[in-house]
Amino acid sequence: MVNVLTPQTPERAPGPPPGAPAGHGRRRGRHRETVAAYLFLAPALLFFAVFLLLPLGFALLLSLSHWTGFDLGAIEPVGPDNFAALFAGGSTFLVPVLTNTLLFALGTVALALTGSVTVATCVDRLRFQGLWRTLYFLPIVTTVVAVGNVWKYIYEPGGLANGVLNALGLGSVAFLQDPDTALPSVVVVQAWASLGSAILVLTAGLKSIPASYHEAAALDGAGPGTVFWRITLPLLRPSLLFVCVTQFLTGLQSFALITVMTRGGPGDATDVAALEMYRRAFEYGDWGTASAAAFVLFAVVLVVTLAQLWVFRRAGEDA
Amino acid sequence: MRRRFPWLSYLVVVAGALFTVVPFLDMVMTSFKGPGEAGTLPYRFLPKAFALSNYRAAMDQLNLPVLFRNSVVVTTVITLSVLLTSSLAGYALARLRFPGRDLVFRLVLATMMVPPFLFLIPRFLILVHWPLAGGNDLLGRGGAGLTVSIAALAVPFLVNGFGIFLTRQFMLSLPDEVLEAARIDGAGEFTVWWRIVVPQTKPVLVTLGLLTFVDAWNEYIWALLVSTANPDLMTLPVGVQLLRDHVDPARTMPVVMAGLVLSVLPVLVLFLLLQKHYIRGVMLSGLK
Repeated sequence: MVNVLTPQTPERAPGPPPGAPAGHGRRRGRHRETVAAYLFLAPALLFFAVFLLLPLGFALLLSLSHWTGFDLGAIEPVGPDNFAALFAGGSTFLVPVLTNTLLFALGTVALALTGSVTVATCVDRLRFQGLWRTLYFLPIVTTVVAVGNVWKYIYEPGGLANGVLNALGLGSVAFLQDPDTALPSVVVVQAWASLGSAILVLTAGLKSIPASYHEAAALDGAGPGTVFWRITLPLLRPSLLFVCVTQFLTGLQSFALITVMTRGGPGDATDVAALEMYRRAFEYGDWGTASAAAFVLFAVVLVVTLAQLWVFRRAGEDA
Repeated sequence: MRRRFPWLSYLVVVAGALFTVVPFLDMVMTSFKGPGEAGTLPYRFLPKAFALSNYRAAMDQLNLPVLFRNSVVVTTVITLSVLLTSSLAGYALARLRFPGRDLVFRLVLATMMVPPFLFLIPRFLILVHWPLAGGNDLLGRGGAGLTVSIAALAVPFLVNGFGIFLTRQFMLSLPDEVLEAARIDGAGEFTVWWRIVVPQTKPVLVTLGLLTFVDAWNEYIWALLVSTANPDLMTLPVGVQLLRDHVDPARTMPVVMAGLVLSVLPVLVLFLLLQKHYIRGVMLSGLK
């Protein structure tokens, strides 16, 4: 996954064995190896052709067409009209749908990142690290249906969250029913669910920082705060970048959790782009604008990812 | 620095762990609550008595045999397929020399970058218009295509670019000598793969299998889409969500929670048994 960020050229395969026959026989061997390789790759390549490339082309065609029915002959090319419709005046796609999407992704990244950095640096100093990590990991192996429903119930007027607030002497909050609190409430759940894997990746990053760096800094009289900001965080940059980019990607694309918890409501307070795409396609049968929405979201995902890579690289040069 | 504030670290970690675990405990506790005990003020964490009746009600309303069968079949097929195709393709990309290898490897990397939601619509339509299936003619018209078959649930997940990448990276580190020795003894590439490479890469295959299993078991959106067209194809997550939608939340929340507990239990048990491998997989994906 992080390989996505640093694509690497494959290492050269070893040449023929020292004792390999030269000339005609060797060429025959090379030919046989090629046939074998493509036989080994055949299932994967066939799958990529039918369920990746073909759908990608089909989606592009749909995004430039008008088509409501199921008869393939009735696809009607309309050029960029679908894209224009998404951004036309009165369309809700830009505001609030895309802004919700960005706020949702930004919120989850901010929460998950601060939470995981805090917990990972603390866990690193404790005993029973395995136990803590297991506990933090539970949400990741649980279905989104369970996570969404448990939290929806926690946010109910008679649920755990208001139970705690009331016990502290505070008034109740209508978390998911109030348009002002609905989006932040879902953001908390998404961050909660992704904390475990972020902690793991950061822990792995922390373990790779030599202890001598910290000891040297401590000898020079640096306090814990200085060590954290000046040594730990900069050296943790690759792990931070990975967590940041993957969480942002997930955040921009999420809609299963929102489908389960709010269905985009109340009103359109939690409506996000992928959910909007799903609805336009499978509830209204409007494949054209739905596919156009999908490509717009794809473009946003690409731009945000490239921007993050650029920012982190710049930060690296300045340091 | 390491020993200076251990109590502060403990405080942070324990508070965080409570924040993670308490929702699960709330789910379990609620699943044992009696009528009128859940969702009412003042909030109570523990049930008055541990009633099993909610589990019986969930089982009655949930056509569990069908849901469970669908989930198990689909998850098993996906896991086996991903392991097989990843290991085959990973071997070719790591250990064989052939024209076009760099191109294929780049293609594999590229498949990991395209967001899954982009495929949702076209894949569904391709399955609907699959020729000569589900009443379709040769041009894919007239019927429901593959969407009425259980294959529809598994098909989009049968090959996984990340799986190919992971196995390839692992296979790069195998020593040359053993493979060459087998080849000199006259073993074909298939034999080398099955007899030598697969056994040697067992750790990474276990890790990949577990990651795939958990993801497939928890998949929701695609399963929802497919089973909207054909309710016989519902998986456990879809079934439990449907139960939630069709009951009065105030009165039967405990039944829904019992259903949720039943649906997460298999994967939770598997995770607790094999967490070392699962955690390794997540770390590997972050470190590469």
